[in-house]
Amino acid sequence: MEQLIEELKQEIINALNLEDMTLADIDENAPLFGEGLCLDSIDALELIVLMDKKYGIKLKTAAEGKEIFKSVKVMAEYIASHRTK
Amino acid sequence: MSVYIQSAAQISIQEPLTEKWFAEPHIPAGNFNLSIEPDYKSFIPPAESRRMGRLLKRAVTTSKEALRKGGCEMPDAIISGTGLGCIENTEKFLNAMLDNGEECMPPTAFMQSTHNTISSQVALTLKCHGYNSTYSQQGFSFDSALLDAFMQFELGKIGTALVEGHDEMTPDYYNMLGKIGYWRKETADTEKLRKSKGVGSISGSSSVSILLSDKLNDNTLCEIKNIVTLHSPNKSEIWNVVSRLLAKAGVAMSDIDAVVVGLSGDAENDSVYESVMSQCFTDKPVVWYKHLFGESFCASAFGMYVAATILNNRFIPKHLLYKSDKGINNVKNLIVYNHFHNKNHSITLLQSIK
Repeated sequence: MEQLIEELKQEIINALNLEDMTLADIDENAPLFGEGLCLDSIDALELIVLMDKKYGIKLKTAAEGKEIFKSVKVMAEYIASHRTK
Repeated sequence: MSVYIQSAAQISIQEPLTEKWFAEPHIPAGNFNLSIEPDYKSFIPPAESRRMGRLLKRAVTTSKEALRKGGCEMPDAIISGTGLGCIENTEKFLNAMLDNGEECMPPTAFMQSTHNTISSQVALTLKCHGYNSTYSQQGFSFDSALLDAFMQFELGKIGTALVEGHDEMTPDYYNMLGKIGYWRKETADTEKLRKSKGVGSISGSSSVSILLSDKLNDNTLCEIKNIVTLHSPNKSEIWNVVSRLLAKAGVAMSDIDAVVVGLSGDAENDSVYESVMSQCFTDKPVVWYKHLFGESFCASAFGMYVAATILNNRFIPKHLLYKSDKGINNVKNLIVYNHFHNKNHSITLLQSIK
C-alpha cells in the first residue's frame, strides 16, 4: 500500500501540474478538496481521467467521487481493490 | 484623438523582458528557435501558473511587465492576436484524444485549446473587466488587434489598452509548416537570409505586449499617427493609401526616415516588400527584424515593437538596417508595413514624441 500511495502522489503531481510540490509535501491523510491540497472541480475531472487512464477505474456517479477523493490514502485503498490495470 | 505607445515587453528568442537586443542582439544559430523563458515565478503565483501552458505564462508575464513599465494599473481593454493559440495544449489534447480512443479527455488542455484563452486569461489574472478580444487571422492577427484598439480609441470608448501578439512553435507544427515551405532547409544565418533568397525563413516564437494610451506621460515611447489595413490591393491602391495617411498626419514623404518591413529571406514574401518599396518608398532606408526574432504568425508585433524602440531612442542601429554600413540618428517618423501572403496588408505611421 505504501508503494501505491507514493506512486499515486507522483501521478497527482504530474496530472495537476503541482510544480512546486514534492511527495513529502502531500499528507496522505489530508483532505484533497477544501483544505489540504485545496483542489477544485477541474482537478476533480483530472483525477477522474487519471483513475480511468492509469488504473482502469471508471467512476459512475459524482457521489462516488466525493467518497473516493477524500484523501490520497482513501484513493489508494479504492484503487487497490478496484483496479483493472 | 492621439494614441501613444507607452511601453512594451517581449519574450522571444532574444533575451526576455529587456531591450538588450537593441545594442547587443543574439543572432539565432539555427532554423528552429525556441523562446528564452524568464523566471515566471516572479510574475505568476504557482497556484495560478499550474493551469497555464507556456504561451499563457508568456502572455501574462509580458502584460504585467508592459503595465509596470507604462505605469498603468488596469487597462481599459485587452486585445490580442494569435495565429495558432495555445498550440502546445491543442496538440496535447488531440494526442490524448487519439491515445484514449476519444475518452478520458484532460480538461485543462481542452480549456487552453481555444484561441480566445489568451486575452481572457490575461483579463482573469489582472481582474480586468473591460473590452476583451482575441483575433486569430494567421499572419494578420496582431494587425487586426491593433486596428481594433485604434478604432476603440477613435470612438472614445477606451483610454488605455494592452495590444498583444502571442504565438508559440512546437516541433510537430514546425515540421508540418516545413513541408509547405515555411522554413529554410539549410541552416540560415542573417547573411544568408539577406543575400540568398530561397524558400522559407527561420522560425521564432513571439510574445509581445504593447500598452497604448490616449495620454502622454514620462514613459511614452512614440505616437501611433494612423493605421490602415488593406485586402489584396494593387500597387496604386497602396500608394494612394500611403499618400492619404501621410497627408492626414501632416507628414511629407521626405519626412519619413525609414520603413520597417517583414523581410524574412523567403523569396516569395520578400518580393512583395521589394515591389512596394520600389513603388512607394524609393530610396528609403529599410529596417528588418525577422533575422533577430524569427518568422511566426505574430511576427508583425515585433515590427511595431522594434519601431517604437527605435523612435524612443531616435536611432536605428546598423544591425536593424537591411542595407547600410552605419546607423541612422535623429529618427522622427517611421512607417511599419506588413503583408501576409500578399493578401492582407497593413500600413502604420509612427512618430517620435521627443
